[in-house]
Amino acid sequence: MTLSRRDFLKLASLVSASAALSSCAPVYRRIAGDLPTLPWAALGAGDFLALNRLTFGPRVEERVRFSEIGLQNYIEEQLDFESINDFDCDLQLMPFKTIRMDANEIEGVSNQLFDGYDRERAPQELRQATLLRQMYSKRQLYEVMTEFWSDHFNIFMDKEKEFFLKSVDDREVIRKHALGNFRDLVWASAHSPAMLVYLDNQANEQSHPNENYARELMELHTLGVDGGYSQQDVMELARCLTGWKVKEHFWLGEFTFDKNLHDTGTKNVLGLSIQPSGVEEAEQVIEMLVKHPSTARFISTKLARRFLADDPPQEIIEKAAQTFLATKGDIKSVLRVILLDGLPLAQPKYKRPANFVLSALRMLNVETDAAALHDYLVRMGQVAFNWPTPDGYPDRSEPWQGNLMPRWQFAFALIRNEINDTKHNLQSLLDVASNGILQDDVDSITSLLLGTPLERVTRDGLIDTVRAAGSTEEETLQVITASIIASPAFQWR
Amino acid sequence: MLTQLPTKTWLPRLSFAPVNTAPRGDTLVVVFLRGAADVLNMVVPHGEDAYYQLRPSLGIARPDDSKTKKEERTVDLDGFFGFHPNLSPLLEAWQSEQLAIIHACGAPDESRSHFKAMELMERGVDDERGPASGWIGRHLATLNTGNTSPLRAVGMGTRPQRSLSGTVPVSALRSIADFHLGGDQRALQQMRAALSTVYQNDLMGQETLSIMDTLEKLDPAKYQPFGGLRTASPITYPDSEFGLALKQTAMLIKAEVGLEVSAIDLGGWDTHFAQGSSTGLMPNLMKDLAEGLAAFHADMADHQNQLTTVTMSEFGRRASENGSLGTDHGHGSMMMVLGGNVDGGKVHGQWPGLEEGQLIGPGDLAVTTDYRDVLSEVLTQTPE
Repeated sequence: MTLSRRDFLKLASLVSASAALSSCAPVYRRIAGDLPTLPWAALGAGDFLALNRLTFGPRVEERVRFSEIGLQNYIEEQLDFESINDFDCDLQLMPFKTIRMDANEIEGVSNQLFDGYDRERAPQELRQATLLRQMYSKRQLYEVMTEFWSDHFNIFMDKEKEFFLKSVDDREVIRKHALGNFRDLVWASAHSPAMLVYLDNQANEQSHPNENYARELMELHTLGVDGGYSQQDVMELARCLTGWKVKEHFWLGEFTFDKNLHDTGTKNVLGLSIQPSGVEEAEQVIEMLVKHPSTARFISTKLARRFLADDPPQEIIEKAAQTFLATKGDIKSVLRVILLDGLPLAQPKYKRPANFVLSALRMLNVETDAAALHDYLVRMGQVAFNWPTPDGYPDRSEPWQGNLMPRWQFAFALIRNEINDTKHNLQSLLDVASNGILQDDVDSITSLLLGTPLERVTRDGLIDTVRAAGSTEEETLQVITASIIASPAFQWR
Repeated sequence: MLTQLPTKTWLPRLSFAPVNTAPRGDTLVVVFLRGAADVLNMVVPHGEDAYYQLRPSLGIARPDDSKTKKEERTVDLDGFFGFHPNLSPLLEAWQSEQLAIIHACGAPDESRSHFKAMELMERGVDDERGPASGWIGRHLATLNTGNTSPLRAVGMGTRPQRSLSGTVPVSALRSIADFHLGGDQRALQQMRAALSTVYQNDLMGQETLSIMDTLEKLDPAKYQPFGGLRTASPITYPDSEFGLALKQTAMLIKAEVGLEVSAIDLGGWDTHFAQGSSTGLMPNLMKDLAEGLAAFHADMADHQNQLTTVTMSEFGRRASENGSLGTDHGHGSMMMVLGGNVDGGKVHGQWPGLEEGQLIGPGDLAVTTDYRDVLSEVLTQTPE
């Protein structure tokens, strides 16, 4: 049985009330008519997979919405993210003042005069805010894309001045264009002080060019390593980029072009002869790079890898790349192809640590302020803005396998409510449907976490094992819930 | 497979892994210096005038340069090459001929891309068409040591290195002290029971459970290098992730848990900007590297005949310094091999020189020894 949206809204208010009033269950029965086995419909494997790719792990209400309107409408609703009211999430971000400041202000509040800089505050606020958005925002696809571009245009927040620059890049580059146009994204990133500092363009001057940013702009941001550029192109583009700097005193942390440091000779990048024209030289190259077929292919491949499979189907990449070229880099159009044509062909992907943690929390409707998640993510190996090299956290499955212990630790600590300011309430989650039979409760929980209940024989075997280890009934449900989160099946999305 | 080449005379007795000796078998430690280490400032060719012309600011002064403070000069090794002063902790191993250096070695790849170069190097292949597994993974798969330990191959850190991937399961190990589930005995029993059930058909999970059992017996808090015995100078691992990785490797070897390969990363070598000559960014990395390796070598003095440590990096850096007191991506690199069976105390390999006409591409050290020649010797040679 599928609940209508209206039924669900009633149900949701009951779920939150039932912590205090466990006698609400009969009220629920009156409202909903027949008592369903589960308050949330079991999802088909394809639908559950799709929702797992479009979100950081589907919440109950997201499952209901998806069942109501179907994949295509759900994607359109998520792509039109600005029309989704996100007030509740925004409210939670209020305490993090630095995410709304410009670089100059962040530098100011981080400056402790005689004690030097507080290099922790702004990164800590940005990291916590990022987790809270991934956790609570209703604009899940937008948050998934924000994470994707944060990897693609990776910046390491521990480097030099990044502690007061990256928060601005996050807001003005990544979040501003995450579902916009790729050309605007590259353009903004190239003019972003955080990127210029991170990849040493700050030091790129006529008398002695520094190749770092020029190389990564082509290798990692646009063409891809086999996209058809040479070492000579890297050196020529580096010359075009001489003088692209960040202000160091007045208007600290803003972009500037210093013509006195610029190489005024003629350059040649990828066969295009570039006449001396100051800041416009590299801008001309950027316009060329974002239109290049290698870029269309490279970006399409990476997007398909994120949403579909480690080695995504060639025909989807082809079609997405054609769309990329035809729409001049419209990210939504490319995503439509990848999601609508591609999701039916998707293969299992191993959850990266943040995805793993968030999916458990979201699926079980856990309340958290996200602060204490940090230590677990450190041990699992994925803290936002903390990847040192410009390639971003790996997206393939393999690098993340083989580090199960911290995931197990998280699963059990979560269920024991041992993580600070992170509380689940399994009982209230279950009360609406629970008839007090352990087997049914286990079915409800596994349906939330894995899409459908376990096969009966597997479920009963698991219950027997845990009981045999001396658990009470309440402990049994908890240990089983934790072991489902720790299980191989839950590590994949 | 690794390229099999005729044995080079310059590394005659590098030994590793005689068959069927597990669990007290031989161990290979692979240290990857990520970011392309500037090897010309590590093992400095102080006998080359060109070096000083190319590096007017960053160059490390000659051993006899009286205009420079002694502690900032190159430490001579053989009259032509010398250590950066911060590599001095390795002098003891060098003098006892247990440390070999292979200069101007590297890969054929000339993309100068960190990520492509690292991937190809960890797979041990020339280009993308080669096998997807890692060179260590393939080696372990072909090596019949009869060792079924879950700790046969360990990647220190939060992600197992690409070089380890293959058919033999590999685990990441960040901290021995943290590798437990917590909770009281009863809770532990419940967790174990549940985990064994959900992971009954999953090799990785079974490995993790059995590593947990093995490590339970170790107490890192009580670990004392060299069994707590007195040594000429006290053995102290650096207080860094790298130091911890080496210390844990030592603990695992001594506990005879069947460790055959330990892969360790030391990152941060991509020094385009202000890398520092005698002090600063890169000298700090060298200090961590040298103090770590020296402590490990001393700690493992009784195990040297079963132990080989190799350092490598994806490529070298431009011979000339750039304008930001750093160096850009180059080509030729350097490897160090440390252990009891190493033909040490020598800089091996053919030195291609730093003069114009000797450098390649945009001005980079040439490669005269394929890194795989070094690795294949480390893997295939057995003691006489």
